[in-house]
Amino acid sequence: MPAQDPLTIGGRTFTSRLMLGTGKFCDFGVMREALEASGTQIVTVAIRRVELSAPGHAGLLDALDLDRYQLLPNTAGCRTAEEAVRVARLARAATGVNWVKLEVIPDARWLLPDPVGTLRAAETLVGDGFTVLPYVQPDAVLARALERAGCATVMPLASPIGSGRGLRTGELLRTVLDGATVPIVVDAGLGVPSDAAQALEGGADAVLVNTAIAEAHDPVGMAHAFALGVQAGRAAFLAGRMAEREGASPSSPVVGVPRLPDPEAVDVG
Amino acid sequence: MQVNGQTHPHREGLTLHALLRELNVQPERVAVAVGDDFYPGARVPDRPLEAHDTIEIVRIIGGG
Repeated sequence: MPAQDPLTIGGRTFTSRLMLGTGKFCDFGVMREALEASGTQIVTVAIRRVELSAPGHAGLLDALDLDRYQLLPNTAGCRTAEEAVRVARLARAATGVNWVKLEVIPDARWLLPDPVGTLRAAETLVGDGFTVLPYVQPDAVLARALERAGCATVMPLASPIGSGRGLRTGELLRTVLDGATVPIVVDAGLGVPSDAAQALEGGADAVLVNTAIAEAHDPVGMAHAFALGVQAGRAAFLAGRMAEREGASPSSPVVGVPRLPDPEAVDVG
Repeated sequence: MQVNGQTHPHREGLTLHALLRELNVQPERVAVAVGDDFYPGARVPDRPLEAHDTIEIVRIIGGG
């Protein structure tokens, strides 16, 4: 792998291709250690109302080294473009960061994103100066439209959010990768490091993982494992995979193999 | 007046600063919206509030 293989998003350059979410961790200490072990440089967070009946409990922002990580607030929970735009603006006010992981998800069962609402919200937010990273289904036509709208990445799902079912959208992902002009970040549904490796091997530029690490028996160990999976996948992509064949093809030469005399052969000499 | 989706009593002369004090919200590390005006918590202006205002006070939490 070349010594320099940076990932550039919204004018910022990163050496890690693994983004991490901060949900579902049992405590901030484990979360911080997992972030460290993953080598991530981009960290997602969510925005929620302050609980007015019990205010004052410790905020996540205090637990994060903001000089070290690019914060990526999300619009999770927003069902319409209008809600997502509003939450993005609140996130910018709360963090001073103008990056947003745009989620417009009206479907509570499968958490599938609304492509029309996502594009509309993306257009508004790009116009408002945001660096927009939209979460979408792997749809090449939508991906190109989001690129034209000025999005910094496109983030197609591997399988439903939090399912850990791995890369179930590989064929569609290929169509999103073909001709992409912005980084493609596979987000949602990755369960194990080989899922991440598979995404990177196929040409994805990065992956975003949360539940697979937070719900692992050892989140810090799994964060390290995902870092290795991403590195392996990227190295394999750059090295270029062999062509697939229908049948077998021996690796050793087929001529000159030492043979025993054939017991069936009759010596008539 | 609506505050974080709940009805909150409005009184004449109430300001945003007074509301945050009343709710015991430390302004750092939060963001506040009054209608379509968005403010970082540390730079919330002491604007008068009206009975029809909708106010959101939010913070960052873990998410993916």
